[in-house]
Amino acid sequence: MTRHPMLKYLKEKGPAGPRMPTIMCPGCGAGQVLNYTLHAVDEIIHNDGTRKEDFVFISGVGCSARLTSHYLNFDSGWTIHGRSLPIATGALLANPSLKIVVFTGDGDAMAIGGNHFIHTCRRNLDVTILCINNGLYGMTGGQVAPTTPTGTATATTPYGNMEEAFDLCKMAETSGASYVARWTTAHPRQTIKSIKKGIGKKGTAFIEILSQCPIHMKTPPVEMLRDFKANTVSINKSRGHGEDKILIGEFCHMERPEWTEKYQKILEQFD
Amino acid sequence: MNRLSINPDYCKGCLICVDACPGKAIGASDRVNPKGYTLPAERDMQQCNGCKLCEIVCPDFAIAVEIEEEKS
Ligand SMILES: Cc1ncc(C[n+]2csc(CCOP(=O)(O)OP(=O)(O)O)c2C)c(N)n1
Ligand code: SF4
Ligand code: SF4
Ligand SMILES: [Mg+2]
Repeated sequence: MTRHPMLKYLKEKGPAGPRMPTIMCPGCGAGQVLNYTLHAVDEIIHNDGTRKEDFVFISGVGCSARLTSHYLNFDSGWTIHGRSLPIATGALLANPSLKIVVFTGDGDAMAIGGNHFIHTCRRNLDVTILCINNGLYGMTGGQVAPTTPTGTATATTPYGNMEEAFDLCKMAETSGASYVARWTTAHPRQTIKSIKKGIGKKGTAFIEILSQCPIHMKTPPVEMLRDFKANTVSINKSRGHGEDKILIGEFCHMERPEWTEKYQKILEQFD
Repeated sequence: MNRLSINPDYCKGCLICVDACPGKAIGASDRVNPKGYTLPAERDMQQCNGCKLCEIVCPDFAIAVEIEEEKS
């Protein structure tokens, strides 16, 4: 039997027995994001001499946060809800050459962790933030989040969400991140390319991936993926049209001084 | 011809792979795993162009494509 090529990066067994299949529900977008991320990491390892040991994966709490130490055969940490970025900051300051990838849910990143998120971007710390945005709190039962689209019915907004959602990419860009992009789980090749770019970028790379929670949205995964394709338009093609659609693509790709590099310069004054 | 390997222990029957295949080489089968998930299967492998999209989009690392040339 041919095995999936990314299984080489996963722990299929642990001390307490098998870890696979994952805990995610059938058709959950979080598993797809893991697959895309491993494809990007695999290409980086094969093409530019980066070693497996150079990567560290960090997450907080939530369904999307389960993608790290449970399954990954990399240095990784499954940490505290909303606090993946302070812990990533600590790892980076201890070893600025690490390639740090953070998996975070929309609630983890922008509800409980919102403050850490904007300050990581402001400092332009060299981390890649992959935000799996399913528009709700999946793990705790599908409650409304600050990212739930207006009108969407959730467990706590049965008549539809009356609030406006945060635009996470605008938030990242205006806070100072060097690289900002949005894709969906229905855009595998673009997402992989973007993750590669983000990891290669010196500074904060924020990539939002709109993802399906078929369980709490009570919709088959294939239908949700088709909707992502139908309801999004590339920023390069939109030209002001299609405002009713969600913009996807790269919103920001610029050079800005990165925190640990600036800090190193200060340290060098004392050599 | 290319071949597909489906891991019945990992597959959760979401059928995302079936929908992603541009050539309709994969289809839902009538095989159900012990958890009750409907497994995908090769449908018409003449239509497989080796793009490996099924392998990339699978949330559960449960499907793999064996490209014909890779064997020789
Ligand atoms: C400090 C703290 N507060 C609240 C919780 C409960 N909690 C667990 S996961 C979660 C929300 C997760 O939502 P999100 O980050 O969007 O991840 P998803 O499950 O949707 O992938 C909450 C509120 C917690 N574990 N810790
Ligand atoms: S509850 Fe939703 S987000 Fe959580 S594993 Fe299930 S499908 Fe995925
Ligand atoms: S995408 Fe993966 S888990 Fe879903 S049906 Fe296909 S092989 Fe099974
Ligand atoms: Mg969420």
